[in-house]
Amino acid sequence: MTDSPLADLHEEPVRLPDFVARLPGGRYRTLNPATKATFALVEALVAFAVRGWTGPTTMLVVGLAAAAWAGLLGRTLRVLVITSPLVLSIMLVNTFLYPGATDVLWRIGPLAATAEGLTAALQAVLRVAAFVVSVAVFSFTTPADDLLADLERRGLGRRAEFVVGAALQTIPRMRERAAEIADAQRSRGLDTEGSRWRRVRGIVPLAAPMVFGALSEVEEQTMALEARAFSAPGRRTVLRTLPDSAAQRAVRWLTGLGAVVAVAGSLAGWLRLP
Amino acid sequence: MTLRLVAATYRYAGAAAPTLHDVELRLEPGRVLGVVGPNEAGKSTLCLVASGLAPATIGGHLAGSVTLDGLETASLRPHELAQRCGVLFQNPATQLSGTTRTVLEELAFGPRNLGLPLPEVLARVEWAAAVLGLEALLDRDPQRLSGGQAQLVALASVLALRPGHLVLDEPTSQLDPQGTRLVGEALGRLAAETGTAVLIVEHKTGLLARLADEVLVLDAGAVVRSGSAAEVLADVALEAHGVEPPPAVGLVRALEAAGLAVDPALLEEAAG
Amino acid sequence: MDWVSRQFSTRVIALMPVAIAINIVLGFTVQKILNLPIYLDSIGTILVGVLAGPLAGAVTGALSNLIWQYAPVIGPGSNIGPFAVTAAVIGLLAGLWGQLGVYRSRPATGSTLYGAALLGAVVVVVLAWRIYTSPAYSDPANGYPSWVYGAIAIIGAIAAIGVAGFILIRRDAAGAAVAVAGAITGIVAAIVSAPIAAYVYEGVTGSGTDLIVAVLRQGGQDVFNASLGQGLFSDPIDKTITSFVVFVILASLSSRLVARFPLGERLAPSAT
Repeated sequence: MTDSPLADLHEEPVRLPDFVARLPGGRYRTLNPATKATFALVEALVAFAVRGWTGPTTMLVVGLAAAAWAGLLGRTLRVLVITSPLVLSIMLVNTFLYPGATDVLWRIGPLAATAEGLTAALQAVLRVAAFVVSVAVFSFTTPADDLLADLERRGLGRRAEFVVGAALQTIPRMRERAAEIADAQRSRGLDTEGSRWRRVRGIVPLAAPMVFGALSEVEEQTMALEARAFSAPGRRTVLRTLPDSAAQRAVRWLTGLGAVVAVAGSLAGWLRLP
Repeated sequence: MTLRLVAATYRYAGAAAPTLHDVELRLEPGRVLGVVGPNEAGKSTLCLVASGLAPATIGGHLAGSVTLDGLETASLRPHELAQRCGVLFQNPATQLSGTTRTVLEELAFGPRNLGLPLPEVLARVEWAAAVLGLEALLDRDPQRLSGGQAQLVALASVLALRPGHLVLDEPTSQLDPQGTRLVGEALGRLAAETGTAVLIVEHKTGLLARLADEVLVLDAGAVVRSGSAAEVLADVALEAHGVEPPPAVGLVRALEAAGLAVDPALLEEAAG
Repeated sequence: MDWVSRQFSTRVIALMPVAIAINIVLGFTVQKILNLPIYLDSIGTILVGVLAGPLAGAVTGALSNLIWQYAPVIGPGSNIGPFAVTAAVIGLLAGLWGQLGVYRSRPATGSTLYGAALLGAVVVVVLAWRIYTSPAYSDPANGYPSWVYGAIAIIGAIAAIGVAGFILIRRDAAGAAVAVAGAITGIVAAIVSAPIAAYVYEGVTGSGTDLIVAVLRQGGQDVFNASLGQGLFSDPIDKTITSFVVFVILASLSSRLVARFPLGERLAPSAT
């Protein structure tokens, strides 16, 4: 940040220990978090908003290419498998129950598969796949604190940074706590497995200690934050600076602009894509 | 560099009666003041009032005067208070920011909030870690420390704001004996070497006997006794206020009655 | 402090990560582990909205969905991201209810209490009746399996008894207001969700509720209306349950702590 009022106070670049600097290494991972975030958002936007085959297919190919380049193709494909209930649902409901479709392909009992329904289903599946791949590549290559550190350098406020950063550490802790509570209750005979009704009954004794335990800490956390000057005015000191380059900045602007043009053109109808 | 309470009376928002009545205390640099008293005596409230968190952060009504370095706490904003008086509570887990990956970043949280230049931030982190002997932990994950270590990291995080005063609300209550010893030793060093004034609420009177210069007994929101630590902790009236005397006191009395002169600190060292 | 910054006080900022974690961990447990046909993923959002205001609620909701989607903390592959818009609207409405004092406890006895219980039950019955007779569910040409009608009637009856019982047992007329607010929130959530589900996912979400979508399509509804019909079935139920859960949580929290939140004074029990 050249416009920072503090810039002239430390012309000498400060060297952080490696365990704090945590410079990313490896293909694709070394890109600036903002660049990777731009790619992920552009892929999602184009896949969802450019209707038909072209948008989702292109973005799926781009996403898988990025995954392969990063050496994450296997992991990304496994994530795709997790979406199979959604994919199955999209395929079944739309192939057999597409409103207004009449071009019957084949019949199974009272249900008729239609070509129009199958087309809509396949396009939706491609959209979902492209989106899920974009998310997977981003989250596998970008630690959340890298993104937050970079966004903070670009002006993200301390409050937003704290909420996201603390939520990311609270979620796994709360899951552990939920598992502990579930274990404790299982040993007391309150079953969390078994029939659906028993599971429904099990949720209150499971959720209540978790929720109240977490809420009871908010007051002390508030005071601890104030005791560490959390509400001081002005910008926070930037600690970590992740590498960026003029080339990446140009690529971000160009892909963003390209996506907006493609989406606008597609929606306005003057960019006719199959 | 003084913390002073003059006729301080504090009532929580929505409460009918005050929790603290006419509390007087004076804490000088480098001194350690222990606070003891039964449950619900208002010890935690005293910590909030002395550090200025009450009323700045939690509201309520404060009468009388609470000053840090001659400035009324009621007129200071939270981040200004934080640079004059550090606070440490019982539970180390809630006091860590919960947003950092390493102890170094955790210690930098407060100085960064102040917007200090980066070299200054790092210098303060280095200093705070050195004072409490935490250099070896700087690259560790704050979420994966022992209770005593986490409490020391929380303390160092507060110290990095360079407050002249520290208010500690039962800082060892959730720690095992080893953690208690770790924190106790660090506090003693801190007061002696940096001139920080320390107010510590503590059930473990054995710890206070080693650490505190003076002790104040709080009961039902009022100061009922104050004086030198040795004097107050040896007072037979202490138990009437629901406070266990230090284990060493009884032993020393018995030994002295038998004609043996023993240094209480030495005995405590052997016992602890 | 102005209307906006008041909603993001340090206390609210400390609450929001907890609220987001509650949304995600509870939602994940209910939907993915217990595989129940409700969501229960907006308890934290509504809690923040009611305690802090519309903007804080909206931010909590949107961030919950985005974190759930983009952070690999709870397993990737979910499709919740695009519904961040719905979550934000839910938080916005919760803030509005909070400002209107909907969640304020209203202890009542005698005819006021019975009147409130009746009102709550009537609201639920009217809602169920609207669904029962809506064109989305009552296309005579195709006719649905009779369980659809039976299920609506049974769920409506259980909900009506539940709401009335809740009001009577807690002796608190606020239950009626909470039921109305929850139901309205559900209807709005359904209206906001339907175009997202239709446009992004061709009308389905990969969960148990897709069965309702299939039945509605079988009955001749188009993609959008089938999703809307499903939402109008699931969301008012889910949001009414969620609103009652939040109401119980608020009633169980210390009133002294609740009062320190931006909308705390709108939650203090009223005299009547």
